[in-house]
Amino acid sequence: MFRFRPAMQRASLLALALLAAACATPPPADDPEAVAEFRETNDPFEPANRVLFEIHEVADRFVLQPIAETYRDLLPQPVRNGIRNALGNLRAPVILANDLLQGNVTRARITLGRFMVNSTLGIGGLLDVSRDWGVPGHSEDFGQTLAVWGVGEGFYMFLPLLGPSSPRDLLGQGVDMAINPLTWLGQGAAVDAAGWVRLGLTVVDTREALLEPIDQVRATSLDPYSTLRSAYRQRRAFEIRNQESPAGQVVAPAGVTGFGQGVTAPAAPVARPAPPRAP
Amino acid sequence: MTRFPAASPHIRAMKRRLVLAALPAAAGLLALSTPGRAAVDIARAAAFIEAAGNELVAAINDPRLDLPARRERVAAVLRRTIDIEGTGRFILGRHVRQASPAELAEYNRLFDDIIVRNLSARFGEYRGVRFSLGRSQQRTEEDALVTTIIERPNSAPFALDWRVAEIGGQLKVVDVIAEGTSLRLTTRSEYAAVIQRGGGRVSALLEAMRNQVAQLAARETRG
Repeated sequence: MFRFRPAMQRASLLALALLAAACATPPPADDPEAVAEFRETNDPFEPANRVLFEIHEVADRFVLQPIAETYRDLLPQPVRNGIRNALGNLRAPVILANDLLQGNVTRARITLGRFMVNSTLGIGGLLDVSRDWGVPGHSEDFGQTLAVWGVGEGFYMFLPLLGPSSPRDLLGQGVDMAINPLTWLGQGAAVDAAGWVRLGLTVVDTREALLEPIDQVRATSLDPYSTLRSAYRQRRAFEIRNQESPAGQVVAPAGVTGFGQGVTAPAAPVARPAPPRAP
Repeated sequence: MTRFPAASPHIRAMKRRLVLAALPAAAGLLALSTPGRAAVDIARAAAFIEAAGNELVAAINDPRLDLPARRERVAAVLRRTIDIEGTGRFILGRHVRQASPAELAEYNRLFDDIIVRNLSARFGEYRGVRFSLGRSQQRTEEDALVTTIIERPNSAPFALDWRVAEIGGQLKVVDVIAEGTSLRLTTRSEYAAVIQRGGGRVSALLEAMRNQVAQLAARETRG
């Protein structure tokens, strides 16, 4: 009790500060260019977002980043690749559902074929056999599906631990979780534990893939908050347009959580023989 | 200089007619000048990127050079390859007009310094780097997008797209795009945010840039 109070007080003070600082002041209406910029930035809660960003930065420097670095130091790359592949494979049902919801039958067939091949020949998804056959993976999420259906992003949000987002993408995240069979499959301590391991590995894998890009932003940006905001938007637009593999060499089967973090997979610079057709 | 009284409706109408008459002439001029600024030939753009890339890789992997010498060689290639001034102007965007000539000159100097230091520090660390041209090269109305694949020992290869335009008769890089994220667009919104947070003054941006140059220089001397 004695200990609890200051923490509560601090929390409510923080909440107050957030509320007070919540809204960004729009520029005066007689400056049309500034108004246009304000609309384009579409970050009406910028002051609150910036506070949350600072909180995230602290948590990241003291917890997430060190864990991701340790993960990279401890596990050799083939093992980390295997984990990334397996996580991507577990996401396949969600990707498939979203391919279909977007009416993209070609990509749905790719997702289904990859899932069947990788789950079997790829030893439960640890090996991305399909990619070696020239069928690289892609990611989809319900946020992207909503965008394809014409839903706008709403506005920009920055959430501690989750990173850049928007109401659309946050909702998409929830729907993806709800439609993932793994969320509903089985019960008991072992299943729960497996679920937490998968979640933990997804976070660590994603952060590991972002070690260099984030270091780069911190080292070179005059304002990391706005750099991240712009990068997130551009990356999301790129994913929504399904441009992530223009030459078939890029992408992000696994760790991609629908939050705009791109993960680069090994390149396939030479043309591969035609893949077997997806069943 | 004599000041004329406010133009009468008559004169205004005359002016309008003059402007209207001038339009087709201007359009004709534009049409004539378009071929000079025409779409960039994709093969030429790819060859240009390949040549510049080879030079960079040679400088980075030259065993006879130490780190500072490597950086210097890389910086020289970058200055020749990138349209630094045009890119800087693009990034400053609408704030160009509100900057004084002195501020603009300082901005150009700082921007050149920052982009060269940033990129050469980044590439300078890429020992053992190899690169190859990607399979897809596309052309837009004004420029060409050349895809390269960068491979480094012990890390996953990644793709970088180079936007190449013809500037004053010479091919130059105007943007670098990684995984759909354009460096000039990202930097533009970053600089705009610094100016906006600094009360809409370009001088706030210049101050932040000066600090960054000092930091980058300090880091270089450390190693």
